This record gives sequence, C-alpha cells and structure tokens, in this order.
Amino acid sequence: MTKPSIPVGIICSQHGPYQAMGRELLKSALMAVDEINNESDFDFSITPHVRDPRGVVSEYHTACDDLIRNVGVEHIVGCYTSASRKQVLPIVERTDRLLWHPARYEGFECSDNVIYVGASPNHNVLPLVRYVLENVTRHLFCVGSNYVWTWETNRVTRELVTAAQGSILAERLLELGESTVGHIVDEIVRRRPPAVFNTLVGSSSYDFIRAFHAATTSAGLNIPMLSCSLCEPELKVVGPASAGCITSSAYFESIRLPENRTFVARWKARYGDASSPCVDGQSTYVAVYLLARALQRAGTSNIGEVRRAAAGHRYNSPQGPVWIDGGNNHCVLTPRLAVSNAEGQFDIFWEADAPVRPDPYLTQLDVAVSPARETARDGASPNAPHLRVVK
Amino acid sequence: MSKPSSFSLRGRKALVAIKDERDASIVRRQFERLGIDTIQWEPGGAVDGCADLALIDDEFLPLTAPAQRAFLGRCPVIALLGTETPSRLKLMLELDPATFLVKPLRSAGIYAALVMAFERNERTNELKQQVAKLEQRLRSRRVVLAAVLQVMHSHAIAEPAAFALIRRAAMEQRKTIEELSAEVTARGYLPRATG
Repeated sequence: MTKPSIPVGIICSQHGPYQAMGRELLKSALMAVDEINNESDFDFSITPHVRDPRGVVSEYHTACDDLIRNVGVEHIVGCYTSASRKQVLPIVERTDRLLWHPARYEGFECSDNVIYVGASPNHNVLPLVRYVLENVTRHLFCVGSNYVWTWETNRVTRELVTAAQGSILAERLLELGESTVGHIVDEIVRRRPPAVFNTLVGSSSYDFIRAFHAATTSAGLNIPMLSCSLCEPELKVVGPASAGCITSSAYFESIRLPENRTFVARWKARYGDASSPCVDGQSTYVAVYLLARALQRAGTSNIGEVRRAAAGHRYNSPQGPVWIDGGNNHCVLTPRLAVSNAEGQFDIFWEADAPVRPDPYLTQLDVAVSPARETARDGASPNAPHLRVVK
Repeated sequence: MSKPSSFSLRGRKALVAIKDERDASIVRRQFERLGIDTIQWEPGGAVDGCADLALIDDEFLPLTAPAQRAFLGRCPVIALLGTETPSRLKLMLELDPATFLVKPLRSAGIYAALVMAFERNERTNELKQQVAKLEQRLRSRRVVLAAVLQVMHSHAIAEPAAFALIRRAAMEQRKTIEELSAEVTARGYLPRATG
C-alpha cells in the first residue's frame, strides 16, 4: 500500500554569495528525506518542494509565499542567514506554519512558528571565548563580516573579555563578499596580537585565512586563530592554510559516535569519499528527522500538534542526543571545541559533559562569574557547559 | 555597585495589565524565556510597589487612582496600543511611557521594547538628577552673588578678585562655593582660611 505523502518546503540558495553552504543544506535535507521515505518506521513519505532564492533576501519571501499558497506546505526546512529567516518569519507567523531553521545564529529571537535546530550563542560563542580566556589570552583582535552575526558575537565576546580584565585590541569589519584583506593582515603582523577571532563568512574568510597564514608564517609568528563557523568543506576550499584554527561547533565529522560513523559512511556513499558533511548540513539532516519523528508521533501535520510532539523528544543524531526545549523552541545540543588539521578535519579536544540547554537571550549568562556557578533558573541543571577533555 | 545591564533582564519583575488573554499569554511566555517574573495586575487592584517595569494595556485607561499613577511614575511604562487615535494616545501619554508595543502582540519586538524602556528610564533618571542639581546651583547663584558683593565692599576689590577669593577659601576649607557664600552672607565677612 502506498504511504500518504506530506509536502515539505525546502528553501536554500543554490546560487549567490553563500551557495556553497546552501548546497550543503540541500544535500543533507534530501539525504534525510530519502532515508525517511525508505524507512518502515514512518507511516508516511515526505515530498520535498525545493526553492532556490539565489541568496537574494527578497526572494525568500517570494519562495515561502509560493510554498504556502500554491503547494500548501505546513512545514518548511531551510534559511541559512538571519536576514533570510527574518524575511520568512512574518509569513509563517501570519499563516501559522512552522519553519525548521537549521543554521546556528546569533540568538535574541524566539518565535512559536520556528524550531531553531542550530546552535544558540551559549552553545558556540561562550565555550570558545571562555576556553581562550582561561588557556590562551585575554586580549583578542577581532576580524569579521559587517553583519548581525559578527556584531552580536563581538558584543558577547567583548562583555566576557572585559569582565576577565582583558581587552578587544581591534575590531575590523569587511563587507560580505569583500576580498581585500591585505590591510588587516598587515596590521595583525605589525601589532602581533596574542590571538585573532575570525567571524568572517564565505569567500572573505577563505581569502583572509590564506593571507593571514602566509603573512604570519613569513614573519615567523604563531598567532592562534579562533572561529565559531569554520567547517570541513571550507577547510578543503582553503587548503593547508586553514590548519590550526580553534573552532567551536556542535558538530564535527570526527565525532566518535556510532550514529556519526554510520551517518558519515552513508554521506560518503551518496556524495563521494572526498566529500564531508558540515555542521549546518548535518543540522539540516537533524531538522528533517526531528520533523519526521514529530509528524509520526503527532499522527498529523497540524503544526500545533507537531510542535507539541517535537518538544522534549530525544533523538540520537549524528552529533549526539538532541531535543527541542519546549520553552523556547531551540535545540538542546552538546558544545565542542576542536583544532583544524592539515587533512581538512577537526581534532576535537573538549566537549560539554552533557547536552546544554539553549539560552537564546543569554539570560543565564553572568559574565562576572565562572561557568561552573551559572545555573538554570530552577537550579535543576547547569546551563553553561562543563568542559571535559575527550582526546 | 555597577548598574544592571539593560540587555540582561533576568530577575526583573514586571507588572502586567493586559486585557486580551492571547496577548497576555504571549507576554507571559516571552517573559519566562527572558527570566522576568510577571505580576498580574488589575487596574482596580492594589499596587505592588516592587515591580521594575509596567506593561499597561490601553484598554485599561484612564487610570484614576493617584497611588497607581504615582507608582507608574517611578518605573518605566510600556504602552500596549490597540488603536492609534489621538484621544487614546493622549490618555496613554499621561503615563509618560518609555516605549510602546502594538496589539495583537507577537514575541518579536517584546525584548527590544523592554531593553528600550529600561535604557530610556535610566537616561531619563540621570537627566532628572542633572536638572535637579543644576536648578539647585541656579538657586544658590543669588547667594554667591550676594557674597561676592559683600567681599568686594569689605576688601575694596573688583568682582573677579572677590570671586577668586571666595573660590580659594572654599577650596581650602573643602566646601562648595555655594556653601561658603552662604557663610559669608550669614556672618558678614569672609571666614579665615585654614590652609
């Protein structure tokens, strides 16, 4: 007997300035859809309806409107940038649909019509900055793309650094897609900061990392670079110059979990041995699975029922156990820190000893106290990560 | 003690007077996410003086009890507007709101309104203190002028020299110019410098 089909919208840019990441999102979404459609555990199949806004912000609104009005979808997976999510938000709220947003973002948002599957700022920025403050330096040179992700990440970083009696030595911003990085690299070589925090995205970041590596090597400098966004496909694009970057993320291809080993094997079987999944792609895969499991549990595609069924349901994903915090619709994830190596992979050296509750508004953050003293409001479970060595 | 950041709202208490249950539930839910304690308030009920903020629905205007108005004068008020008619806005302006939200509410915008309200209130309070200080100094100018005239006569010196004398004496005695001027006018002569 043929299973009933549920239409699901997938919005990710296959062209434009961040097409590389958009394609990773689509590859992961389609892989999850195919797996789900072939699993007997599900009473339904998913029909993906893919839209490509080509990285044009206004196109996201059009694509979402088309999916809801003409296809009749109740659930949409996608949007990579915050700007694109903000375009889609009014439509999904007005029509009471559910957006499953896979990318990590800067926080300070909470809609009942969005399930935030990617990392919140307390999952990636906080562990990275705290590690650096305790083990590397209290003085950072910040370079980033001139948009909301960098602005907010730098603000949180400045608060933490200042509370630790450290300083932000400089904050240099480039427009998205800008490739003129020489003047910033020259300044870094001249000023010799103890560490550089890189929040550049896409091609700007790749150009900067190559130029930074060449200049510091030539000058005989060993300046650590920090990142909250660098991922495996990007390491391959940048090449050997990307080695040595201290990176914070909930997912790395090198995670030693059985679920991840089989996920990576399936990925490589589908997309080739040279291909690597990335954090946002894997998060898209998780988002589709969380949606499918919630649909199965709810027995309907009605968004209120699905949202209730999704909350608190534990899924042993490639990155480890994840579930949706019903209080804020964000995902409970396990923060990790790793160093990139010359083989285009990450060597994980720390991870939280338990999945960490999302804190999109950083309400649990007290910059003046150590992470160990930060507790959830009810005092039941620590919200800040307790790091442990995993190597 | 450092002042709390307007961006971190955990532990704050908000007095909430909202008529529509859907709007009220959105506010309660968003406040819970932000770590804010909600105190429900019926405009006819007793005023809880320990709130840090008030959200007042324009459905509940006008507020007539003086105690309620006095309380709302001490904490930032966010106006919840259902209509934009001048008559309704006039009533709302009597509460001197720090910012406003438009009904029907959605979760987006509430955090920004809260941050703006706390920051606006902080800046307004600083300005009020500054104005009060300047008004006090303005009032005391008359005493300073009287003291300068007295010293000019008693020492047969010009106005700049008389003022310089008062200023030096005030510095030596670790008093403000206004305090020393009051003593000059009361005693009729310039107190002896201690230094």
